[in-house]
Amino acid sequence: MKKPVYIFSDGELHRKDNTLYFEGESGRKFIPVENTSEIMIFGEVSLNKRFLEFISQSEIILHFFNHYGYYVGSFYPREHLNSGYMILKQAENYIDEKKRLYIAQKFVEGAYRNIRQVLKYYQNRGKNLDDIIYAIERLGDLIAGTSNVNELMAIEGNIREYYYKSFDEILGNCDFEFDARSRRPPKNSLNVLISFGNSLMYTTVLSEIYKTHLDPRIGYLHSTNFRRFTLNLDVSEIFKPIIVDRVIFTVVGKNIIKKDDFDEDAEGLLLKDKGKMAFIEEYENKLKTTINHRSLGNSVSYRRLIRLELYKLEKHLMGEEEYNPFVAQW
Amino acid sequence: MYEEVTGSLMQSYNICKRQVWLMAHQIIPDQEHPYIEMGRLIDDMSYDRDRKKINFENVVIDLVRNDNGNLLVGEVKKSSKAIGSARLQLLFYLYKLKQNGIEAKGQLFFPEERKKIDVRLTSESEAEVVSAINEINDIINMDKAPAFEKIPYCKNCGYKEFCLS
Repeated sequence: MKKPVYIFSDGELHRKDNTLYFEGESGRKFIPVENTSEIMIFGEVSLNKRFLEFISQSEIILHFFNHYGYYVGSFYPREHLNSGYMILKQAENYIDEKKRLYIAQKFVEGAYRNIRQVLKYYQNRGKNLDDIIYAIERLGDLIAGTSNVNELMAIEGNIREYYYKSFDEILGNCDFEFDARSRRPPKNSLNVLISFGNSLMYTTVLSEIYKTHLDPRIGYLHSTNFRRFTLNLDVSEIFKPIIVDRVIFTVVGKNIIKKDDFDEDAEGLLLKDKGKMAFIEEYENKLKTTINHRSLGNSVSYRRLIRLELYKLEKHLMGEEEYNPFVAQW
Repeated sequence: MYEEVTGSLMQSYNICKRQVWLMAHQIIPDQEHPYIEMGRLIDDMSYDRDRKKINFENVVIDLVRNDNGNLLVGEVKKSSKAIGSARLQLLFYLYKLKQNGIEAKGQLFFPEERKKIDVRLTSESEAEVVSAINEINDIINMDKAPAFEKIPYCKNCGYKEFCLS
């Protein structure tokens, strides 16, 4: 199985013949081309065209993150799985308002159902979440009846607002109070973790899209401007509650990340490298966790589940089977 | 659709009609599938001394060899399990060559099994190729992919997760 490589230190990425290595303060580290799916770059790294050429040829994606752990962008090698047929289908489903709304609703429905599942889990463990679950369920009932994407986005926003309020009850940790959702820069530790986790999720989904015939620039829920990747944002909605948020509950709940893992700087709050690494470890473990897949008849990892979700979407676009989002069973 | 029939479509034809349609629409199988990676490697590493990957028209021939003054074209496969479809694929190459005025002998290579099998284009097998080409064209022109049907081949197929997701 190919694995992502994470780079935190500063240094240079090089190609030497048909191998890659990273040269940092602690010496040379080789990157196995055949076993690397993507390289996640957090440190200050320089590279050259020769390196990019080889990366492109080996179909490895580079994802860049800034000082705060925010996603900056990707070096996305020239698309290698091109199907004109699939791109036309994707566009056709975008241009037709009704078809677009249907798919967008399914993404929000998936997000809603998975959020609800996470909350139910903690409710069963004695957390007082009745009111929040009730409010979210009322909002969830409205999804299918929305008449345009903006209306749908508003409902999704409201669900999330209620949902994030539940974090205080679930975590019960005064060092990680939610207060309000804040971005760029996040104002408190919990928001830092949410933003960081979401950034990771977007890149994971983008990497999986790269292995399908879908074009990441055509999304359905998040408006497309044909410059930015948006389909990965759409599909991430479904998986954020069951992957990112559960990782947050683990790292805070088990004291893996503590208050002193954050630094205050001029621009805002910042997760230190040690904290980022700890978060990534839990995140990667989560992606590797397998669950039993009924129709496939074998177990699949969460990462694989994302790919299967994309296959389902492809089949919907092809007019084979109506798309229904993945919903966790517990 | 102007998709020309290719060797891999020929090979799929004997196994799964849905696969033919998907391939023709450039919806290619999961490239991380272990069997597909293995096939690529076996093809890369075997028969180093021969001329390899000959492209002509829309045909890619694995291996070309001079066999006592005769032209011998070969197709390399991981296993002889799906020999029927490998045979049809090779017959298709021989047919294509013949249409261009080139007479050639064919041989299937199974390096892992250290096995070779001769394949000849006879009038009978030629008719088989022509009817396959016609039916493949019909499949490609279908509006939608043929519906999924579970067969034993699914177990090790690069489309398995696509079909069953």
